[in-house]
Amino acid sequence: MTKKVINKSDISKLLKDANNEYNVYVPMEHIGGDVLFSLLSKENNTLEDDIKRINLSSEKTVNSPKEIFYPQLDTMMEYNDKGEIKETVENSKKLVFGVRPCDFHAIAHQDHFFSKDYEDKYYLSRRDDSLIVVIGCNQPPLPNECFCTSVGTGPFLTEKFDIQLVDLGDYYLVEIGNEKGADFVNKHEKYFSAPFRDEIKHAESTKLEAEENVTLKVNFNKALQIMKTEEIPQDNLERIAERCIECGACVYVCPTCTCFDVFDDMKDGQGVRCRIWDTCVFSGYTKEASGHNPGAKKEYRAARRYEHKLKYDTLESGISGCIGCGRCLHSCPVDIGMSNFIKEITTNQKYH
Amino acid sequence: MIKKTLTSCIYCGCGCGMYLISDGNKLIGTQPSENHPVTKGSLCVKGWNAHEFGNKKSRLTHPLIKENGKFRKASWDEAYKLIADKFQTAQKKHGNDSVAFFSSAKTSNEENYLMMKLSRAVFKTNNVDHCARLCHASTVAGLAATFGSGAMTNSIEEFERADCFFIIGSDTSSQHPLIGSRIINSVKNRGAKLLLMDPRKIHLSQMATVHAQHKNGTDVALLNGLMHIIIREGLEDKKFIEDRTENYNELKELVKDYNPQYVSKITGVPQEQLIEIAKIYATTRKAMIVYSMGITQHITGTDNVKSCANIAMLTGHVGIECAGVNPLRGQNNVQGACDMGALPVCFTSYQKVTDENVRKKFEKAWGVTNLPAENGLTVTEVVDGLGSGKVQALYIMGENPVVSDPNQNHVIECLEKANFLVVQDIFLTPTAEYADVVLPAASFAEKDGTITSTERRCERMRKAIDAPGEAKPDWQILGEFAKVCGYDKMMYDGPKKIMDEITTVSPHYAGMKYSRLEPFGLSWPCLDDNHPGTTYLHKDKFAKGKGTFMPRPYIEPNELPDEEYNFLLSTGRIYWHFHTRTMSGNTTTLEREAPVPYVEINPADARELGVRNGGKLKVTSRRGTLELIATVTDKVCVKSCFIPFHYIEGPANILTNNAIDPVAKIPELKVCAVKIEKV
Repeated sequence: MTKKVINKSDISKLLKDANNEYNVYVPMEHIGGDVLFSLLSKENNTLEDDIKRINLSSEKTVNSPKEIFYPQLDTMMEYNDKGEIKETVENSKKLVFGVRPCDFHAIAHQDHFFSKDYEDKYYLSRRDDSLIVVIGCNQPPLPNECFCTSVGTGPFLTEKFDIQLVDLGDYYLVEIGNEKGADFVNKHEKYFSAPFRDEIKHAESTKLEAEENVTLKVNFNKALQIMKTEEIPQDNLERIAERCIECGACVYVCPTCTCFDVFDDMKDGQGVRCRIWDTCVFSGYTKEASGHNPGAKKEYRAARRYEHKLKYDTLESGISGCIGCGRCLHSCPVDIGMSNFIKEITTNQKYH
Repeated sequence: MIKKTLTSCIYCGCGCGMYLISDGNKLIGTQPSENHPVTKGSLCVKGWNAHEFGNKKSRLTHPLIKENGKFRKASWDEAYKLIADKFQTAQKKHGNDSVAFFSSAKTSNEENYLMMKLSRAVFKTNNVDHCARLCHASTVAGLAATFGSGAMTNSIEEFERADCFFIIGSDTSSQHPLIGSRIINSVKNRGAKLLLMDPRKIHLSQMATVHAQHKNGTDVALLNGLMHIIIREGLEDKKFIEDRTENYNELKELVKDYNPQYVSKITGVPQEQLIEIAKIYATTRKAMIVYSMGITQHITGTDNVKSCANIAMLTGHVGIECAGVNPLRGQNNVQGACDMGALPVCFTSYQKVTDENVRKKFEKAWGVTNLPAENGLTVTEVVDGLGSGKVQALYIMGENPVVSDPNQNHVIECLEKANFLVVQDIFLTPTAEYADVVLPAASFAEKDGTITSTERRCERMRKAIDAPGEAKPDWQILGEFAKVCGYDKMMYDGPKKIMDEITTVSPHYAGMKYSRLEPFGLSWPCLDDNHPGTTYLHKDKFAKGKGTFMPRPYIEPNELPDEEYNFLLSTGRIYWHFHTRTMSGNTTTLEREAPVPYVEINPADARELGVRNGGKLKVTSRRGTLELIATVTDKVCVKSCFIPFHYIEGPANILTNNAIDPVAKIPELKVCAVKIEKV
């Protein structure tokens, strides 16, 4: 694998250059210090301010970069009563900079989902011409919730990435994973230089330390095994259901959740068809035309979510639907989360 | 161009900080703020979907004028002139108080301030009110009388550390989800005690230490009974009573009669439960009372609130961290709308219109003379006034009384009789259908301003996207209209300038300059530019000096079941919808979860009526009748039923009673008598 180094002070210059060619999405600090994936401005007068707000330190964005390729509300087509249909396909060239390793796994998961049975053009057109620069996690961004080492999705990637950055203080070691990544680095070669041996060594030790820094451990493989062969104890599900206030956050923030609902909005012969993120934890999700609802009970719906993530996804693609990012626990107002669930089924202790 | 803008959620009073994501043309997503002290990376389902409704093609985009029963598009200028002419003519013929204004708890502080300024400075009437009349008017009256300040005494963060929650008449986890979640976490993670008093089984019932299902409308008896036990057991806080309160002997005298046996008979709560609740509440230091519409929406709403204040003072559970009396406000800015004086009796900061010095101060600030000195009419009285001719013209901003007010047939009859009606909203609501002029307003996502959440937190709302068509922010509409009426001191560069003016005339808000509200706002009182805001009220001293015990006797609800109307009906909100569904009904996920109106009845009653879950029932009160789907559930007691009030397709308020609390004028939406038949 080709490796380079880049000074941190050159990152903003690199992104400014890239901004001419790409739509650049990068974690940016907003009012009150919230860090969110945001689009760099194309306007010169606001670009400088945006650049100052870039934050690549170990802050985790509330939402993963999922929304860049699969927005929460996406217009699929516009139409009118003359029978004209205009599909709204977004296919800009994108650079998504600063993606966390777990979230990169999630993108791979979504790539698979949105192309396995049929080609979902709304997703794929957004995704096709995109370059992803991953940044490894020296420290877990959510120290009490991240459990990537248990799942095997972090804190660094070992393969399949375009580019991965290793934070080494004043500079990053740049690992180039494929041709797409190499093209980008070559094009902007003035910012990159060859690493010294020390730097490569430093990166290796940094990665080892990073592993140690992820202190939340769960027995993920055991959980997958249990989910494959056993029923989830009713008691676990009931305790989850009792807490749950049905906000849907666990699904909305989940980087691998893909369910959507479709609605039309029409007036005076003009219409628009949109899709919006849906959530399986709501009862209406499974309501049948007859009025019967197999998912009427909350505990059933909780079970379905865990089964989907830990059982069906694994059976279908060999990859689990949970990437250990910890967002479901972090955004749950009542402390329900995948890591707690896994601990419960693998240790018989109560975490909910 | 994708842009993320921090703003404040439009739904309940929690005041969550959220980012709206815009693609330049429409809103495409919502994300919670990580660092906002209430939100902390979470939202409820309504918050997560707050971006959708504003995009709808059915948004109002042009002023409309009704001609021959039909709306036609009009210019702003034409609309303003017509309204000005009609209002001024009405006043010439029938006097200043023949016009009225409904402000809105869904609009900003600045807009509420301007609405009351319009009413008082331009039209010289105190006939300005808003929907707090239907939710917490009794709180404002009851807590002002006992404590001197009608707002939540604690902050939301304190729920994370309280050891006992005394919840009476609040379905907290469903109506204030990010407060409810703190209660759930405190109970589940820390073993906090949950004392729940609610006639219905709600989500929190499952984890309650005690759930007393008292009969609807017996709250005063219940609270008096608890105080009787506390005094009998010697658990009152004698030092607190001595040092910080007055009128204790009168309370002691009154609750003497409310022994457990008597109270149990009135409320239906077993004596052991009464004793357990009284003991746990009195002996836990960090104990907070949490209440909402179950307390306030009664003809004894003010009495109920006073009784909550009484029990808190009796035990010394107020004026300290994590203990107090917490009325949860149900709209994002209903606290602010009250603070801004969108009430018929006061200017901002509850400064009374009857006080000459106060009037002089505002006359000077606004450059006017002869501000009206008499208290104005309330929402409920204005509606009646339209019917009787006392009120000729009404200007409604962001309210929907056809769905939200009691006794719908009566409301519609009055609106039809109205000489002239203006409705300013984001959609053509059922109320707007009755209007002579409809003005298109910008939604919360389309304007700047501030709101004040239930914890008295004044925080920014920020513009994320342009309003559709010719729609404008309410503050701009009100300013332009005032100018057409001949008053030009309501034209501002923007909400910041309006807030600058508010700070000069409102002691609570004196330090609330925009520059200080970054990033997540301040809680009032905020008395000057250096004041840090106030997390909990009444520390060391009540706002009014000494806290006043206001003992109240139990009075029965206005209308109870009898032989003919043999069911007790209670109405309220459900989790998936908000108020009159103007917003939530235009949100796909929320509408899918709860698409149709229904009536909850107990399985025993369903058997007797021969109806299954999903069958049809006819519900009739003395005021109207409705056909609804039956939801058979033990959430409601035998011979009780519950109907959500959100739906124009099955308006619960066709049935409800418009009997009102004599002090706060709040209607008794929580109790009336109905009969139920199978269809």
